[in-house]
Amino acid sequence: MSVASIRNLTVKYGNFTAVSEFSVDVDEGCTGLLGPNGAGKTTFLKTLLGFIQPASGSGHVLGYDFIAQGREIRQRIGLMPEQDCHIPGMTAVQFVGYAGELAGMPADQAVRRAHEVLEYCGLGEARYRNVETYSTGMKQRIKLAQALVHGPKLLLLDEPTNGLDPAGREEMLELVQSVSHGKGINVIICSHLLPDIERTADRVIVMTRGTLRAQGLIKDLKKIAGHPVDVELREDSDAWLDAVRGKGATFLERPARSTYRIQVDGLPEDAARLCMQCAQQTGAQIRGFHVAQRTLEDAFLEAVQSTGPAISTAPPPIVQTGDANGR
Amino acid sequence: MAASPIADLSYRNYDGPLDPPLYRWWAIARVAIRDAFRKKSFWVLTVLGGAWYLILMIIFYFVQSFATTMMANRGRQILDPTEAAATMFKQVKWDEQFLQAFSMGQLMFFIIALLIGVGTVANDNRANALLVYLSKPCTKMDYIVGKWVGIFVPMAVAVAVPTLFFYSYCFMSYREYGFLDDPWLILKLPILILIPAAFHASVALGISSMFRQGRTAGAAYAGFYFFTLFFTKAMGTVHIILQQNGSSTKLIDNLFYFSVDGVQIGLAKVLLHSNGGQIFPFSGPGMNLEKFVVPEPNGLLMAFGYLVICGAFVLIASTRIRAVEVVS
Repeated sequence: MSVASIRNLTVKYGNFTAVSEFSVDVDEGCTGLLGPNGAGKTTFLKTLLGFIQPASGSGHVLGYDFIAQGREIRQRIGLMPEQDCHIPGMTAVQFVGYAGELAGMPADQAVRRAHEVLEYCGLGEARYRNVETYSTGMKQRIKLAQALVHGPKLLLLDEPTNGLDPAGREEMLELVQSVSHGKGINVIICSHLLPDIERTADRVIVMTRGTLRAQGLIKDLKKIAGHPVDVELREDSDAWLDAVRGKGATFLERPARSTYRIQVDGLPEDAARLCMQCAQQTGAQIRGFHVAQRTLEDAFLEAVQSTGPAISTAPPPIVQTGDANGR
Repeated sequence: MAASPIADLSYRNYDGPLDPPLYRWWAIARVAIRDAFRKKSFWVLTVLGGAWYLILMIIFYFVQSFATTMMANRGRQILDPTEAAATMFKQVKWDEQFLQAFSMGQLMFFIIALLIGVGTVANDNRANALLVYLSKPCTKMDYIVGKWVGIFVPMAVAVAVPTLFFYSYCFMSYREYGFLDDPWLILKLPILILIPAAFHASVALGISSMFRQGRTAGAAYAGFYFFTLFFTKAMGTVHIILQQNGSSTKLIDNLFYFSVDGVQIGLAKVLLHSNGGQIFPFSGPGMNLEKFVVPEPNGLLMAFGYLVICGAFVLIASTRIRAVEVVS
């Protein structure tokens, strides 16, 4: 089931088109929204929240029309914005409790829940401090806490590791991973940092210049066409390479020392069998064998630089030709 | 033994009630009102704003207590203290006392507006708080109405507390001395209370929305207040000079009300049907200041001006408050 489904979304700032004819389905789970700076990621999120009126487009978020039912959507969404934001003059508990009240929680429930989420976000000890005295890392955490307080069904995280030192970034990514898996919360994490997305998300949507360039599961996007395999030998062996070539395999490249990327017609299991036979013949030792993958960075660069249609790894829609009984 | 927390610190989904996403402005207003009422300075200023009422109460008390002696000093021997007091209190124009106290309290009302109102949106701008508000089921209108009510209610309380206290005191003490001669006074007072509350709420909101620092917004409001006050005082002086020369003061009399204080005092004069001439209720014949006082203005003109100013500043706030910076 899709959390959000948007069709032909166009957003303009005056004459500048920030998002153009953007159609996307966001599935349940954790989805990374990737794109270079200025790709339209934040504009897309702000449009979903109703901050910006789109020039055209339709769709729904959590089952609500995203243009007409902004309030209903925002009651079920938590936003962790990119910029520092807080209510001046409040302690963390007051701030998060107030955010809960704004979302419609009764005051007593909001305060109780504020304590819970502040503990969860690692601010339990600092909850009675004025938010303005917080460090950058703590401010990131409290933004997450105020987004979580009302128990949203969809969490929008805009650059959650912005401005954090390595340790803070690590903690924040752990927190995001924890929130987005097994808690019943769907997450859209927006970032231009590929490692952050790879660490936390299952799926990605790649945007550039306001258009969709790719979408799908990360593991699918990293696959290389033709299922080449990487074979790691104990030491370089030209004899083994000649042997596999002689049996019809194609040598592609050497991604690392004593590692050969080869491609064989058929399944990866066929390639494994071939490699083993050749190793037996030539006396080479195979230390590792796995299906070759691109890095997410390569997949991202391909998607961003390509001028063709958007890459999608989603399965084709099922076309029902019979009735419910299969007739 | 492994250290483990006493409480369950893992994440749990919230499955409690959520109110419908309407009337969120009240959540915003409630917090602003609560914050204002928690400030000691708010209550100190409220008392100072009603200082003239306190002075009047002391004067009335002593006049009532020493009416016989005072009448004797004025050359009339009345032995019955009640009759003497009644004679003294005949001079008092009761509606005028509320107008005088209202005028005297203007500076304090302005300072209260500075204290509770003028930083309200500016500080939110500085802290990007709008992203928090508007990412929840609040609309821009909820935000504006909530902030406006958050200034309006404490302002109304600051004006109402001394006004209604004085009314209650006079009602209990001076009924027989003509305090109830104007039966509509009790209905006029709530309107009088709303005049500065709505005015300062609108102007403070509008000015606050134009800045990203509460202090800068406060300085701008203070500049606006004192500049217009200076203009009003200048017009008042010109009025006296023209009055002494026997020239027409009609234009000056209208210009006199072109200020933060002026427009409110003008409306109050219309409402209470007083011109503010009786500064001291028991002043002798030599203290008659009526001729120096700018007369009651045109009611429709004042109401129109008042509404235009309030509306203009709310419109400024509405234009300036945005969830995102829109590049055009």
